[in-house]
Amino acid sequence: MPQVLIEVDRLTKSFGATKAVDGISFEVYAGEIFGFLGPNGAGKTTTIKILTGLLTPTSGRARLGGFDVVRQPLAAKRILGYVPDEPNVYQKLTAVEFLDFVGDAYGMSARQKALRIGELLALFGLDGAAGDLLGSYSHGMKQKVLLCAAFLHDPKIYILDEPTVGLDPRSARLLKTLLREVTARGGAVFMSTHIMEIAQSLCDRVAIINRGRIAAAGSVLELQRLSGERTLEDVFLGLTDGVTGTGMAAAARGPLPETP
Amino acid sequence: MLLCAALLRQRYLAARRDWAGRLVYVVAAAAGAVLFACIALMSYAGAAYLRHAHAQALLVSIPAWAFLVYLFTDVFIAFGQALGDLYLAADVPVLLVMPLRTASIVVAKFVAGVVTNEVYVSAFLVPFVLGYLTGAAAAWWSYPLALLGVVVFPALLYAALASVTIVVLRYVRADKAKEVLWLCGAVVPTIFWVVSFWGVARANGDITTLQLPAAPSWLPSTWVGDLVAAGATHDVWPAVGWFAFLLATTVVACPVALAFIARGFLRGYSEAATNPPAVRRRAGHFGRSSALRALVRKDVRTFLRTPQLWFGHITALGFIAYLLVGHRAQTPILPLTVQLAMVQLGFVAMLAGLNPGMTALSLEHAAIWLLRSLPLSAADIVGDKLAVAWGQTAILVCAGGLALCYGYHFDAPHTLAVVVFGLLMAAVSVGCGLAFDATYPSFQWDNPNAINRGIRMVMPFLSSIAVLLACALVLGLARVALHGAAGVLVGLAASALLAAAVVRANVRRALQRVACLEP
Repeated sequence: MPQVLIEVDRLTKSFGATKAVDGISFEVYAGEIFGFLGPNGAGKTTTIKILTGLLTPTSGRARLGGFDVVRQPLAAKRILGYVPDEPNVYQKLTAVEFLDFVGDAYGMSARQKALRIGELLALFGLDGAAGDLLGSYSHGMKQKVLLCAAFLHDPKIYILDEPTVGLDPRSARLLKTLLREVTARGGAVFMSTHIMEIAQSLCDRVAIINRGRIAAAGSVLELQRLSGERTLEDVFLGLTDGVTGTGMAAAARGPLPETP
Repeated sequence: MLLCAALLRQRYLAARRDWAGRLVYVVAAAAGAVLFACIALMSYAGAAYLRHAHAQALLVSIPAWAFLVYLFTDVFIAFGQALGDLYLAADVPVLLVMPLRTASIVVAKFVAGVVTNEVYVSAFLVPFVLGYLTGAAAAWWSYPLALLGVVVFPALLYAALASVTIVVLRYVRADKAKEVLWLCGAVVPTIFWVVSFWGVARANGDITTLQLPAAPSWLPSTWVGDLVAAGATHDVWPAVGWFAFLLATTVVACPVALAFIARGFLRGYSEAATNPPAVRRRAGHFGRSSALRALVRKDVRTFLRTPQLWFGHITALGFIAYLLVGHRAQTPILPLTVQLAMVQLGFVAMLAGLNPGMTALSLEHAAIWLLRSLPLSAADIVGDKLAVAWGQTAILVCAGGLALCYGYHFDAPHTLAVVVFGLLMAAVSVGCGLAFDATYPSFQWDNPNAINRGIRMVMPFLSSIAVLLACALVLGLARVALHGAAGVLVGLAASALLAAAVVRANVRRALQRVACLEP
């Protein structure tokens, strides 16, 4: 039985009267890429924010590598690499200074930092802009810097919120390769995405969250078999009150308004 | 009109949503009322004193200078505000792609900017005018006339500043224009102020003949000042004349300025929104640092690369110059003592420390998620914020304190006492500001000078002032009870104890808030 690296148990998060996450439970094992799918506002980012220590759960428990994210936050964060949905970085630092700062926060030695920063910047094609302020970077470049930061200390667990948004095809392919390498070395990846092709081709298992609750979880094949749908997209739409492909086509066939 | 109303409503809602609880509203409203009452009472007391002392010349010369002080403060704030409202605001791209005329957007943004300034006017100038007119036993008609003049004043000011902004953007590169505008806003008034006030020193000190030098007659602040002064002296026609002149100028100037701004708006927006060319920096060498040192290094770099953050310090340093100039015109009412100098520097330190403390955490901006997701303790984060905010203020306090004591011809021990007191007050204001910022952080802003807009500034300011007044009382009592060096030492020690208690309480509060911060 592989080691459980991410464990979520009856996790709930309420904002006033609204339950953004409503008693969800799942586990992510070592060597696994786990896709977290759901429509906008379903509770994906809230779950991710709880796992990364940005939000405190209202009830329930979440553990990373056996460390409780509320009771042992520093230990949990040390084995975590995180990429948020928006690439917000320090505009007044250069890429190298930013990664140096992140390396220090993880307690890396000077030698480790120099080696890894050079390696990762070259890998993501940022070595030419390494001395530029991050404020002058494009959205995609900032996203790459955050991926470098997540991979910098070689963590066991990766939590990625829409990691491919803004990435060029080459970098998206590189990211997939790197994530496969992580799982081959016994790490675990937990990622949210709206791109069904990525989930279908990359994830070993997926969970679909809708209105704060897990609607279904399992491998893509299992979900297709159980729901009787042909693609993961159809499974997703069927479980999340979405309109099926045929319905959407019919809705889109209405006449366009005439231009004045 | 609809766009104006929509923008104002959106700004009002944003301001409301900045404040989470009803209690905060109550406290903020009470603090605002106290500030209003204090300004009104002090203005009343000053004007009444001068009226009874028959110091008519001094009495009528005050309003023009009071409005000039406001004008300079507004120049400092509104330069950044005009740039932020017109070009850097997050909603401008959305408005520009809508089927709206550029002129409509400019007018709506202009009205929203003027309304923001009217809030400051209501908080600072209205109580001054009410207190001053009452103290000077002004005629009844002067109240509505003066208040109308005060309401019109910001529109004229904002039109001028917005026009200057667009001209600067046309000739200076966007990334430099921001710095140029803010630098002008801070430095020009300071130099003007010091040069103008130097004239006071030539007065002979007799309060019945003393008067402030004539304020520049071409400034709108002088027109409003003369309108208020005419009310105080019951001169109805000069008052009506000044009001009519102010109104006519505003009616002519605002549409002209708006037309000018609308014409250059798209080009100005394009200039301001263009990313500056990349500034390449040396990679440097990697060394192993503790988390706290890494945080401090990151914040110091951010501070050094963000000139907007320096300007509060430039203004605070300007106070040292004012104090030194003012010292030449000291009257026996408030003789210069070491204790007075300590309180003076303490006030400068308090002003200088408030902004760094109150923005310490909010400056993380949208990248706040990083601090919470990295393995950093609340103690590391609060320690860093305290060190950086207090460190920058301490440098200013040391430099300002040495300049002040040199100007006052103090010896080394007295200089040391003054500087130490300044450092203590800096710690108090940084602590108060940090605790407030940790409780009510503001991570959504267009430029760092906009973080402390509005009522946010009032509560930490009043808390710090209260501590400074308590310390001033302690210093005064120690001076009366124990003369000479002993009085200074005991007063300083007691102030240190009080300051330490305040800082400790605020740091504990900040630690608690940072530990459960949910960005």
